[in-house]
Amino acid sequence: MESLAGTLTFAQSAMPDAFQPTTLAHYLFVSAAMFIIGLIGFLARRNLIIMFLCTELMFQAAGLALIAFSRYYLEHTGQTFVVFVLTVAAAEAALALALVVLLFRTRDSLDADLWDEMKG
Amino acid sequence: MYEFAAPIKLIHPFLLYAACAVGAIGVWLALPRKKVNPQLLGGAIAGFAVGLVLLGLGIGAFQNQPEMDNPPTMLPSIYFYIFAAIALAASLRMITHPRPVYAALYFILTILSSCGLYLILSAEFMAFALVIIYAGAILITYLFVIMLATQAPSEEQPDALSDYDASAREPAIASGVGFVLLALLTTMLFEGVRVLDRRDEANPKGGQLAFQTTAEADVLARLPGKVEKSLRREGLITDEQSIQRNEETGRAMIFPDARTVLVEPSSEEGEPFDLLDWPESLEATNTEMVGFDLLANQPGSIEIAGVILLMAMLGATVLSRRQVEVDEELKAKQAAALPVVHTSAADGGGS
Repeated sequence: MESLAGTLTFAQSAMPDAFQPTTLAHYLFVSAAMFIIGLIGFLARRNLIIMFLCTELMFQAAGLALIAFSRYYLEHTGQTFVVFVLTVAAAEAALALALVVLLFRTRDSLDADLWDEMKG
Repeated sequence: MYEFAAPIKLIHPFLLYAACAVGAIGVWLALPRKKVNPQLLGGAIAGFAVGLVLLGLGIGAFQNQPEMDNPPTMLPSIYFYIFAAIALAASLRMITHPRPVYAALYFILTILSSCGLYLILSAEFMAFALVIIYAGAILITYLFVIMLATQAPSEEQPDALSDYDASAREPAIASGVGFVLLALLTTMLFEGVRVLDRRDEANPKGGQLAFQTTAEADVLARLPGKVEKSLRREGLITDEQSIQRNEETGRAMIFPDARTVLVEPSSEEGEPFDLLDWPESLEATNTEMVGFDLLANQPGSIEIAGVILLMAMLGATVLSRRQVEVDEELKAKQAAALPVVHTSAADGGGS
């Protein structure tokens, strides 16, 4: 029981020791689950805006995995690359939302199923 | 460079697959549909599945605790569980809430709790950048567009949902596909490949020491002002004294292996240089490390990021300036849907 209490430390120290592989797995699972929730939302929802929100959720999950790996290897390059995830997410939000406004003005609806002539 | 350790069996694959199947059923139930809508039940089932996997991982971590007197912790901190639970629950609610505004707000909650996870992972700079950029900028843009691109509610049913918000498209197939992918991903992570080893298994502190002697010392050498300030705060040098700098590069003369700093002599007739011990408080913060990594090691990619942002700005401007041909039939339908009072007001005000 004492050893259990010892393992439940409340926060990691400022500049960390290397990560334990098992602790890394917890973060990777959360990241994977978040990504999959975003994927399901993108596939299942019909509102264009929510579909693009779900892609942002997937970016977010990728960022979490990058940060966890950066902590595991004690490299800051992983954190640096989250900057690029943020950049791409911001660019995607700007373009996607411009497109959504354009599509909404054309069909007066946000339903993604209305644009099914692009199926081929 | 990296040695592979023996694979650690973290979680039984049967438990993993069962949890994925239960999670798929939960998400399928939680997705919006027209008549019967058991969202709460679905959310509870999905939460149960996630809890099952986290419990399995925790037990696996606990069983693999190395046999030492004072073993390093293999379990994440309690805050990990709190933030992970909030993040996953909010993201599930985000994809299942029928109203887009609420979905965006739940997404902000997901962002904030993953910022908590970033803080636990000691990535302070990225955590705060995420709050500012995502919750502050991107989500506000989303909320604006949601308010721009929403049909006016009709007079009889102001709370009525649009058809495309009220029902999901193929929820069973989507959640099935998603959770099969999740099962594959997690199997690869926890079973299929060997767990990557830390840099130096024999020396548990080795990773940190090697790290401090290379990357952090490099950053500190580029910040002579910070080293000086830290020494002054500790009372090791006087205000007039300064540290020695490399004449060519201007870097601080510090020796991370011996943990000493070279400073100017305190008096004229003393020794030519003073070697001072490295104070405990002298360490590079996360923001300084990320900043130097970004600007010193990846200067090309930051230019590329700038180009991406510029292109996105241009693209968004071009897209939103385009005139849309609205056909007359649709216009007539819109006008018919508007209530009478609004029509006369629009006539008077002009548009």
